Amino acid sequence: MATLELNNLHAEVAEEGVDEQILDGVDLEVKSGEIHALMGPNGSGKSTTAKVIAGHPAYEVTEGEVLLHLEDGDFGGAFEIPEDKRTWDLLDLEPNERAALGVFLGFQYPAEIEGVTMTNFLRTALNAKLEEREELFEDEDEHEEEEEEAGYDTSPMEGPADEGEVGVAEFQQILSEKMEQLDMDEKFAQRYLNAGFSGGEKKQNEVLQAAILEPEVAVLDEIDSGLDIDRLQDVSKGINALRDEQGTGILQITHYQRILDYVEPDHVHVMLDGKVAKSGGAELAEKLEDNGYDWVREEFYETA
Amino acid sequence: MSTQVHAALDEGTVREISESLGEPEWLLETRLEALDALDDLAMPSVIRTPGREWTNLHDLDFEGFVDPLNAAENKDQVGPDEAEVLPFAEAVDEHEELLKEHFGSVVDPQDNYLTALSTALFSTGTVVYVPEGVDAEDVKIRTEMNSQSLFNYTLVVTEKSASVTILERQSTGEDVDGERYYSGIVEVAAGENSNVQYGSLQNVDEETYNYTLKRGHADTYATIDWIEGNIGSRLTKSSVETYLKGDSSESQIVGAFFGHGDQHFDVNARVWHEAEHTTADLVTRGALDDEARSVYEGVQDVGSDAWDTNSYQRENTLMLSDESEADASPKLIINNHDTEASHSATVGQVSDEDLFYMETRGTDPESAENMLVEGFFVPVLEEVAVDELRDDLTDLVAARLRE
Repeated sequence: MATLELNNLHAEVAEEGVDEQILDGVDLEVKSGEIHALMGPNGSGKSTTAKVIAGHPAYEVTEGEVLLHLEDGDFGGAFEIPEDKRTWDLLDLEPNERAALGVFLGFQYPAEIEGVTMTNFLRTALNAKLEEREELFEDEDEHEEEEEEAGYDTSPMEGPADEGEVGVAEFQQILSEKMEQLDMDEKFAQRYLNAGFSGGEKKQNEVLQAAILEPEVAVLDEIDSGLDIDRLQDVSKGINALRDEQGTGILQITHYQRILDYVEPDHVHVMLDGKVAKSGGAELAEKLEDNGYDWVREEFYETA
Repeated sequence: MSTQVHAALDEGTVREISESLGEPEWLLETRLEALDALDDLAMPSVIRTPGREWTNLHDLDFEGFVDPLNAAENKDQVGPDEAEVLPFAEAVDEHEELLKEHFGSVVDPQDNYLTALSTALFSTGTVVYVPEGVDAEDVKIRTEMNSQSLFNYTLVVTEKSASVTILERQSTGEDVDGERYYSGIVEVAAGENSNVQYGSLQNVDEETYNYTLKRGHADTYATIDWIEGNIGSRLTKSSVETYLKGDSSESQIVGAFFGHGDQHFDVNARVWHEAEHTTADLVTRGALDDEARSVYEGVQDVGSDAWDTNSYQRENTLMLSDESEADASPKLIINNHDTEASHSATVGQVSDEDLFYMETRGTDPESAENMLVEGFFVPVLEEVAVDELRDDLTDLVAARLRE
């Protein structure tokens, strides 16, 4: 059971001359197996929260923390998580290290990457994730020794030939299974990563990648925007499977109540002006759909 | 400065080279005329902007690093039985008429200073002759230069409806003290309805200055496709050119380069549409790391008689460091309005958003960047129809990224 914990998170755009505060003290907690919906008007800081969790270089955290608490067994029974390495401050880590610990970010606008096939990319990513995880949990002394031993034995040309932990054949099988689950055409596997994909195909692909990387917590930024109803159902099925089969905790950022009919949230949060202004159960989303955000704003600033 | 123990660049030296190849009088005369013309000829054109020449060839001490009588090399010249793939001296013996007809007909020996120098001094070469209707695959010309300088000449002649695929490689073998010079002239005379695919992969050491000019004349319904890969050399000045002389002729020029250290690549792709219904497609991609520098010039010249022309050109350079520098000049000259054409060039960097996206999936920054750069070359590599050349280029890009 993993827990992602945001405490009093403050962030601004990391650009000189711009000191616009975007996050103004976000508190949030997402546990494995839970589904959280994060709603709120445009510009309230939802996407920024997602990006800061993942480590986007465009934002600078000025206060607060993003913690990931792990328990032994979170990475499978065979992987021992020592007691002194169960809580991580994600803000100290690079984006790929955060991914290795089990944090996944599904993008609102996934990058289109020409010339890199889905299969090649995902297998590389999966192996890199497993390798990085080993390194993060390695005893430091041990680690140094290994580095020395490795020395110059491996030539740079061996890079591409190195299969990694998950070999080509094994990976193909994993990929086919997950694609079938998501009702994705097999031909996607040989296409270039998101290049020329429709909006819906890109979103489906984000869920597929989450399914393959098996994160502890997946932050999905507007995964439902721009989807037709059939694809919305496929994507929803994928998100539910992440939770039900892998125990992934989901933080789902959305503008619309629609997806919540298919992916029923345990908790709903409303962001306003860089803070979580209100939290509640699934019924809160319905109320927002009917009445908008103004009443939340009034309530929040009255009590504040 | 290098010490001048070389044979002099004079008539005696040229006569000696010509005699060693058993050349007829007319060829010797052509060489001597080229030698005589040296003083009056200009360097090959480079892009100029006020106050600056983008590639400075004038300061290069060509005569200093040319050692005309030492032409040590390892050479393979192989091809299928149906076609003739001959070392130059043998071609002189067996095909004098063919040589007389075509030598210097596509690339004027006195085109510029460097072509004239090459014509006067070339001591090695290959003649590929493909008779009518013959389909010759897998012609391979491998040149490993072991001398300080090497002047190489290649002539390709395809008769009517013949077809040939040629893969040429240049590399350097033994180390030589000081700077080196490789010069290669390639002439292609593609006969009616014939098809020439000419791939070249240059990977000489980084002490070597490299000048190559490859030019083809395409007759009616003929196709000339070039692939130009540049990885090695200290400085490369290369031009790949097709004259579409016959109606319905076609040409594709595909280029790829990857510079690092302080390498300098000046690559040019040029096509002249001189007949009706001709098509050209120019595609080049290059990456630059460290302090490497590239200059690209592409020319599509549509002549006044070139009715119904299709002509496309695109070039993209990817900069991998802040110290690298790239310039591109895609030129389109249209003298016939019945033309569909496009031309573009871009210079860019690896996108931070792309990198971040890949990193959020667990990919470490270095692997992510390597994948992006390898992916950048894919659209060009996909155009390379010669499997072996595509695989080699792919490996060389991968190796350079992981140096």
